Amino acid sequence: MVNVMKGVLVECDPAMKQFLLHLDETLALGRKFILQDLDETHLFISSDIVETLQARVDDLMDQLSIPVHDKGL
Amino acid sequence: MSESSKSKSSLNLNPSPTLQCKNLHEYLKSRTPQFLETLYNYPTICLAVYRELPELARHFVIRLLFVEQPVPQAVVASWVSQTHAKEQSKACEALSELSVWQEAPIPGGLPGWMLAQSFKKNLKVALLGGGRPWSMSSSLEPDGKARDIAFLDAYALERWECVLHYMVGSAQTEGISADAVRILLHAGLMTRDAEDGSAVITKAGFQFLLLSTAKQVWLFLQHYLHTAEKRSLSAAECLAFLYQLSFSTLGKDYSTEGMSNNMLVFLQHLREFGLVYQRKRKAGRFYPTRLALNITCVGEGSAGPLLSSGQARGHLVLETNYRVYAYTQSSLQVALLGLFTDLLYRFPNLVVGVLTRESVRQALRGGITADQIIHYLEQHSHPQMLKSESGGIRATSVLPPTVVDQIRLWEAERNRFTYTEGVVYNQFLSQADFTALRDYARAAGVLTWQSERTRTALVTRAGHDDVKRFWKRYNKT
Repeated sequence: MVNVMKGVLVECDPAMKQFLLHLDETLALGRKFILQDLDETHLFISSDIVETLQARVDDLMDQLSIPVHDKGL
Repeated sequence: MSESSKSKSSLNLNPSPTLQCKNLHEYLKSRTPQFLETLYNYPTICLAVYRELPELARHFVIRLLFVEQPVPQAVVASWVSQTHAKEQSKACEALSELSVWQEAPIPGGLPGWMLAQSFKKNLKVALLGGGRPWSMSSSLEPDGKARDIAFLDAYALERWECVLHYMVGSAQTEGISADAVRILLHAGLMTRDAEDGSAVITKAGFQFLLLSTAKQVWLFLQHYLHTAEKRSLSAAECLAFLYQLSFSTLGKDYSTEGMSNNMLVFLQHLREFGLVYQRKRKAGRFYPTRLALNITCVGEGSAGPLLSSGQARGHLVLETNYRVYAYTQSSLQVALLGLFTDLLYRFPNLVVGVLTRESVRQALRGGITADQIIHYLEQHSHPQMLKSESGGIRATSVLPPTVVDQIRLWEAERNRFTYTEGVVYNQFLSQADFTALRDYARAAGVLTWQSERTRTALVTRAGHDDVKRFWKRYNKT
């Protein structure tokens, strides 16, 4: 029998996919959210997590970035 | 499912609402044929539409203008050599979209083209003269207090900036009329605050601010026309008047005599936005300004003089160290700059800001795109920027390439993910089952991802119902 699941397809680069897997494994968002690991650059996740996830990824990006210029003296 | 899925998919998956700015052609295309029919009763509109048509379409119109019977489609096709069939079909499409011509059968069964009656009649009037004289052309005594072009430009700019000022909420402005506020609200450029009911700017509003003035005016007027019916004004009549204005001469005064009451109301609105100048409400004469004259040139290449030469000159200097120097006194310009820069210093005629990741991201979150920021910087760059060389690299843009690239990178960084709502089908019993479903979904154009090895297929939310029905049918056979 065919199995049918609703959710959201996420397309991203392999590095970001690993980050998502990491979030999933460590229950960083409070629960598991990956419904299916499709391939290197595609994941299938539950749709109600998307907003939390976006905020989380934004946080990560903030940590990664270094101001490229002085704020002026 | 359709309704519920729509509300669900507006779940802000890929938040990039961009402001649509239609040109005249696109605007008219989106109207009903009945509306176009009424519009074509005005010679000015016919002429404006004619001027906006593709070149080949204009040629067709002129060839057909004096033919009083349908012309076979094959004959029209024979006017263009086979090598340019693409242009020809584009021209034909444009003419059909705007209901300039209609299909008409020719005795003998061939399909033919025939120009719309009212369009044909009124384009002839526009080109050859005749008909009633324009209401605003009645002769006037010379104006004792005539206004020159410089005055009109300054006036138009001041009035229009009033509207923009109101949008950015700068305190120093006089208010704008309730009608104008209603249009801004209707256009979705502003929205009522949930708490105190005051109007606050929306994402679309921010994008609106970064458009060129001509585009702003045209977009604003489009929404004005949408709401016109509610004010018991006829949208067709208003549009006709606008185009009549656009054919007028800058710096010349026109009479209000013979204008209907509705049009006098409309004129007062235009006066508020700075499209026309009137010394007194009852002056009996008015001067169209550059804002009104420029309505017709909203197209992409309309870099033309938006306002007088003094205003068209830019005031922004962008350096490779991300600093922005703005030589301006206008608080509107400062407020606009503040949308995407951190402001550092403010001097009487100079504002210094710096583009930071945070400030740009703030703008991106507000729905402004990197392209809009870059375009704005480019459009308003100081003449000095044109002279400076960007390190031997003669880029297409006057802006430092490092900064442009960085702004784009900041935007791209937000879009490392693309989200698509969808439905996964997996655990097929046989490869044949899987292939059948996948091929069906692919043919319907709703397949987003598939893997043969794992027998998994992903279809869009919209296509799910259709694929489900197919699957039920498939299983029965």
